[in-house]
Amino acid sequence: MDIFLQQLINGLTIGSLYALVALGYTMVYGVMKLINFAHGDLVAFSAYVGLTIFSQFFGASANSLFNVIIIFLLTALVVAFVGVLLERLAYRPLRTAPRLSAVVSALGASLVIQNAIMLIWGPNMKIFPSDLLPNTTWQLGGVVLTFTQILILILSAILMAALYVFINKTKIGTAIRATAIDQDAAKLMGINVNRIIMIIFIVGSSLGAIGGLFIGIYYRGLTFDMGWLYGLNAFIAAIIGGIGNIPGAMLGGLLLGLFNAMISGYISTEWAETFTFILLIIILILRPTGILGEKTAEKV
Amino acid sequence: MRKITKFASSVALGAIIASSSILADTVKVGVQAPITGKYANEGQSIDNFVRLLVDEKNAQGGLLGKKIEVVTCDDEAKAQKAAVCAKKLVNEGVFAVIGSYTSGATEAAQTTYYRSKVLQTSDGTSDSLIEKKYWTFFRNSFPNSAQSDFTAEYFVNVKKYQRIVVLSDYSSYSEGLGDATEASVKKLGGNVIFRGKIKSGTQNFTATLTKIKAMNPDVIYYSGYYTDGGLLRAQQLQLGINADFVGGDSNDNPDFYKLAGDSAKGTILINFPTPEILPYKEAKKYLKAYKDTFKIDPPSIWPVTNADGLRAIMHAVEQTKSFDTKKIADYVRTLKDFPGITGPFTIREDGERIGAEFVVYEMNNDGTKKVVSTK
Repeated sequence: MDIFLQQLINGLTIGSLYALVALGYTMVYGVMKLINFAHGDLVAFSAYVGLTIFSQFFGASANSLFNVIIIFLLTALVVAFVGVLLERLAYRPLRTAPRLSAVVSALGASLVIQNAIMLIWGPNMKIFPSDLLPNTTWQLGGVVLTFTQILILILSAILMAALYVFINKTKIGTAIRATAIDQDAAKLMGINVNRIIMIIFIVGSSLGAIGGLFIGIYYRGLTFDMGWLYGLNAFIAAIIGGIGNIPGAMLGGLLLGLFNAMISGYISTEWAETFTFILLIIILILRPTGILGEKTAEKV
Repeated sequence: MRKITKFASSVALGAIIASSSILADTVKVGVQAPITGKYANEGQSIDNFVRLLVDEKNAQGGLLGKKIEVVTCDDEAKAQKAAVCAKKLVNEGVFAVIGSYTSGATEAAQTTYYRSKVLQTSDGTSDSLIEKKYWTFFRNSFPNSAQSDFTAEYFVNVKKYQRIVVLSDYSSYSEGLGDATEASVKKLGGNVIFRGKIKSGTQNFTATLTKIKAMNPDVIYYSGYYTDGGLLRAQQLQLGINADFVGGDSNDNPDFYKLAGDSAKGTILINFPTPEILPYKEAKKYLKAYKDTFKIDPPSIWPVTNADGLRAIMHAVEQTKSFDTKKIADYVRTLKDFPGITGPFTIREDGERIGAEFVVYEMNNDGTKKVVSTK
């Protein structure tokens, strides 16, 4: 039982990280019908930015909670800016072009970001200090919980709840949903679509940045090509939950994390990835729009 | 008739190409190593060391009067890239290639070098590298089987571990070393309670470790690379698994400490004597030169064994007074106690380096370590 609970915690932690990253995919897709393949690399980028901010401005000084919050905020700010820039340069010029062009542009942007990381920070592995957050652990029965794990679980739950409220209860949220349904009609209703898309990129990139920073803090080793690993998993999570659907991305992320932990724990790590894709295929056969995706008539 | 002229002209062309590369006043040596990617600091150091030795040789007038030119190809420690590198280096006309760092990348390139009669020497420790019996290949480090025998001896007879877990990743080196260690432990009557594999680079090993926790092991032995080993160690202690952690040779890298953080303390490593404690005259000379030139020590022993590989080749060229790779290879295979930086360098007929020496280290968390056993 202890082992099962521990695997549950392991799965939920990584699942929360997938969910944070998956939100970026799903929001951009929801509004623009575009798979932003550069999102995973933006996540990797944010881990590097966070590390740089830490080592440049805080060094070995006391890692108070206040400092950590500043690092998170600054990183989210920088990455949100890069996300907006990405949209301006790589996606806006192609908004009326065939969808394939935008996808190719996204793949290109992914390579550009990845190589930029390599040129800026070098090809060697960069390593997060192990003392950024307290190394406290709690033992509950046979289950071990670390401070970082609890922070990841709580903070990502808060962020997801906030995002849900933002999308469903605020005026901007309503405008985002309207844009997602029909861009042209939204324009006629006086919604500034460009601004909405900018907000989407700011929110998605910031969430990705927080996910990326947590990945850095939790796993420590950063490689310039790590975005691919998390990007792919988050993308699968978004599809499982129903791409374009925000609660779906959260659910998909958590499910994928749990599923992965259980397969690796009880069957074999060798098969974890294979089973992930089998799960994806089964879900797509049973519910082509994902678990929470709505059935909409395809207009194309 | 046309066929014959075509044949003759191609022979003539071949002869011209062959002779031009010999008559030219430079010879080319290839470096195939991971210059970027996870193992970049190892690959860059191999490249640095080769350039250091080549600069020294060129300053002394070159090899048989020819200047040596180094051509580097980045294989990113990936098999596909390694195969491309092999083709590229062969096309560049190198007569010998140093590298690569990983067994997988070395193996993927082996056949191309063999077909093109280009010498290759690597620190790859996978036993399978020698099994193809290519005369072009010789190893500059010691094989997995030598290390696994040493490890098993330490586990069973020195530490008397009762419950041993063996973990590896899926690379040919790591899997080979893990399998060999499991076999050696069993041969000595030891008890391997779990033989598992993790996927390198996935960073999250908690699932496997949680499974291991339930088995209550005395020791977790990891035969993969430092990039995963450091994280494994950190996550092991985080999960409250109080078993000893023993890493195979490729965990011996400064990045291991950084990844493991405070958890590095008490980790045990089994490896060659590390560069800084090598007692040999050549070691003192070349490691000082390396530090003076690059302002940093090599990250591990592997760039140094590769340097020995190059020194053996250069020595063989000078002794045979020839760039004929067959002659060089034959000569290298007769080397006995050639004074290497990493100790006496003896190559067996099948290209295997023999006379392995291993050391057991215990790590402190500040990156220093102490020798705890040599047997």
